[in-house]
Amino acid sequence: MSGVESAGGARRAPGWRAWALLAPLLAWLLLFIVIPTGILFVYSFCERDELGRVVYTFTGESYARVFDPIYLRIFGWSVGYAALTTAICIVVGFPVAYQIGRARDPWRHRLLLLMMVPFWTSFLIRTYAWITILKQEGLLNAVWQALVPGHGPLDLLYTPTAVMIGLVYAYLPFMILPIYGSVEKLDPALIEAAHDLGAGQLRVFSAVIIPLTLPGIAAGTLLVFVPSIAMFAITDLMGGARVPLIGNVIQNQFMQARDWPFGAALGMVFMALFAVVYWVLGRWREREEAAG
Amino acid sequence: MNTPTLSRCLLGAVLALSAPAAVRAAGVLNLFGWSEYVPQTVIDAFTKETGIKVNFETYSSNEELISKLVAGGGRYDLVQPSDYAAEVMIRQKLLAPLDATKLGHRKNLLPEFQKRPHDPEDKYTVPYMSGTVGIVVNTEKVKTAVKSYREVFQPAFKNRIVVLNDNREIVTWALYTLGLPINKIPKENLAKVRPIIAEWVKLVKVFDSDSPKTALLNGDVDLGVVWSGEAAILWNQHKKFQYTIPAEGAHQYIDVLAIPTGAKNQAEAHQFINFILRPEVSKMISAAFPYTNPNGAARKLLTAAELANPASYPKGGKIETFRDIGKTAADIDRLVTDLKSAK
Amino acid sequence: MSARVELREVTKRFGAVEAVAGVSLEIAAGEFLTLLGPSGCGKTTLLRLLAGFEAPTSGTIWLGGQDVTPLPPYRRPVNQVFQSYALFPHLTVGENVAFGLRMQRVPAAEVKERVRQALELVSLTGLDARPPDQLSGGQKQRVALARAVVCRPQVLLLDEPLSAIDAKLRHAMQLELKRLQRQIGITFVFVTHDQEEALTMSDRIALVNRGRIEQVGSPPEIYNRPATAFAADFIGQANLLPARLVAGEAGGARVRLEGGLELRLPAGAWPEGVAEALVSIRPEKVHVAKSKSRARSKFPEDQTNTFEARIEEEVFKGATDHLRLATTAGTRLAAVVANESALGEVFHEGDRVFCGLHADDLVVLRLG
Repeated sequence: MSGVESAGGARRAPGWRAWALLAPLLAWLLLFIVIPTGILFVYSFCERDELGRVVYTFTGESYARVFDPIYLRIFGWSVGYAALTTAICIVVGFPVAYQIGRARDPWRHRLLLLMMVPFWTSFLIRTYAWITILKQEGLLNAVWQALVPGHGPLDLLYTPTAVMIGLVYAYLPFMILPIYGSVEKLDPALIEAAHDLGAGQLRVFSAVIIPLTLPGIAAGTLLVFVPSIAMFAITDLMGGARVPLIGNVIQNQFMQARDWPFGAALGMVFMALFAVVYWVLGRWREREEAAG
Repeated sequence: MNTPTLSRCLLGAVLALSAPAAVRAAGVLNLFGWSEYVPQTVIDAFTKETGIKVNFETYSSNEELISKLVAGGGRYDLVQPSDYAAEVMIRQKLLAPLDATKLGHRKNLLPEFQKRPHDPEDKYTVPYMSGTVGIVVNTEKVKTAVKSYREVFQPAFKNRIVVLNDNREIVTWALYTLGLPINKIPKENLAKVRPIIAEWVKLVKVFDSDSPKTALLNGDVDLGVVWSGEAAILWNQHKKFQYTIPAEGAHQYIDVLAIPTGAKNQAEAHQFINFILRPEVSKMISAAFPYTNPNGAARKLLTAAELANPASYPKGGKIETFRDIGKTAADIDRLVTDLKSAK
Repeated sequence: MSARVELREVTKRFGAVEAVAGVSLEIAAGEFLTLLGPSGCGKTTLLRLLAGFEAPTSGTIWLGGQDVTPLPPYRRPVNQVFQSYALFPHLTVGENVAFGLRMQRVPAAEVKERVRQALELVSLTGLDARPPDQLSGGQKQRVALARAVVCRPQVLLLDEPLSAIDAKLRHAMQLELKRLQRQIGITFVFVTHDQEEALTMSDRIALVNRGRIEQVGSPPEIYNRPATAFAADFIGQANLLPARLVAGEAGGARVRLEGGLELRLPAGAWPEGVAEALVSIRPEKVHVAKSKSRARSKFPEDQTNTFEARIEEEVFKGATDHLRLATTAGTRLAAVVANESALGEVFHEGDRVFCGLHADDLVVLRLG
């Protein structure tokens, strides 16, 4: 029996109203995610003609090319950059999230707002702003040369350092917000109890605060690590397009190289990688919850 | 909506969609062109004179153009491919033949831009602007003469170079340094240029096809291999930016106007092309984007300063246009991606 | 093992608010002292000052003869049992209890043994692998206790630990805590707002009101001889009767209550030079009898104030009867009589009764 019979005789199962409310979301998911993914999946097994149009003959050639050492190396670089970005975001973002979470109103809301305000500007404009700051004749160098005359200008733009700055800057709020959520839920009595039991500042952190904010850190990691692997705009704009990351390669296939099947194959493998990461993290969290 | 308005809308729609017979007083033109290539002043002037509304969309590479055309064709009435892209498109029957009777001003074009290999009978295309890819140098920072690719890619200039983010261009320059042909590229030639490009890639600071002048203006780089139009703009900003055609040879491109097969507003498209071919209009384009103007009548109207711009009107040098190279493009892409990512 | 605690002129200000005002207190080693007072009186602040979570604005705090005022909580030989238990949710019961020992870097084998002993002490043997969210309130309380006690502190602070536990269990736990304290001998500083709890458990009670300690003493002392109106009213019930001095007599004073009843007070009972004060008498110390002869047999004449009254209201409460008495002149009193046996007197509304107040049971308190 799936529902409870109400007085009027109608079943109170997940009624049509629930489905009606969900329908727009389901339609959106279907139209913009499921179907396009399906199309890409089909393309990944196709060939291309000289004009770059898709020819519907079955071939696994594109997938074979994906596992070419060149592209595996690029995958590796992309994952490496993403991992470094995530690590830096954790190190930089945690103290910020902690301070905001422990701040008293009205400061807490003000700080949150301050952190969100950049979001109201387009991401691309903010990236260009960084170019203005980091370029040889930019703001940073103006300040630097005023402070340290005689030293040459800092060569920051179009280097991996600039790319890291851009990536961390873009993704930091995605790390701060989930951690802030965890910190907010932290009972201050627990920290006092830890102190009371002999834990100094550092040990309170490692023994109590970090374990209890781990859900926030995990959520932040998912929100930062996974999207940053595919980020291509920042390497192009701030990195001088010197090191192609997987996002650049995929974009290239759909634009200049006009090899859609290969791009689709790369995309499919990429999605499989994500699925594996999510699954692994999900299982880890389940195990943590069962044990803890 | 009441009936008279409705039927008027319908009538208008029917008229707009019917076969291009006579010139219409009010119509629409869907123009798909390069970004930073068609001045708004020209578009506005056209609309003012003809009443035709122009919907202008842009792209920044031929491949993007072809991709979009192949994906959803008949939406555009007028496109602006480069020579080698036009060649492929003609072969694949993506372009409609032009009606020469509607293009009276065509005679203004200089002979060296007519009957080019990509369209030997000038049946499908009309040249719009031309340019080269060559060497630009900030002479305040670089005191030595740099007149060839080899002289650009020297260890002394490490991390001070900007080049186009175009894999085929880079391979072409490397082929030029070895004296190899640039339009027939067998695999063994690719193998020969591989070590050269491997070295070059390590010296480059910025890869940028969209706006390579930015890095030069910002002082982040001192020299580079860029579009002549970019170099011309730099020259206009400051005479310290000198442009040269590389001694080993350079790529000349001719961008053309063409009408996609199945375009709905072909009459309007012809009108626009003819409008562009007028010398005073062509002059407006040169003023905004100082590329090489193929219109002889227009050149007569240009100022001495404009004609003196070494990037717009370079002297001599061996220049060739690109031809389509088919599947080799994939190999080139793979080669350069490989070399770029090898650190 | 346990230590003497001293607060010397401790003041704590939060902004403009003075939560603790110049408090000085000595707590003997091994004593069970309760800080008792209404909400917001400052007792929790005092506890936090002892623990080290707050630093005094002025004054010093001494433990075992050492000035611990500058020391942070993790350096004081003090442990606290929190009102909300504050058990670490990501650790099991056993790991919670072991936490303090781990911080002290006690070797693992010893940790295991001491944790087992602590859990046994609080009757939670065998629950060491349980996560805290699966425990009942009472069990959590005991884990919190074990966690604090296992560290062998010199002073144990308890912040209203039984306030979230239901009444029946609370009584049992009060006795258990008291027994425990006797057993391990650590100085306990206990905070509560429940006066009955304080009376049950404490060796001494410190009454806290508005940041000050109004009285410190053993439960009988505080109960029978409250020092202020607040003390009299906060603990137990009291008749607080405004009185005016009529005449100072050789052996004492004569005062008049509202409504006209006059009382004789022994020598020294009424403070010098004061015209008006409060006379306090506990309801159970108001002797009530139905006949004058009966009354006289109970009360020695010279030490007792006797008077007639009428029972305005009678509330039967099983073991006791709560009466509201009114004299003919209008003085009102509350009285509580025990229903001793079938042989005892039975009181009803409207009865005329004879009442007596023994001199030693009257406490005079200054106004304000």
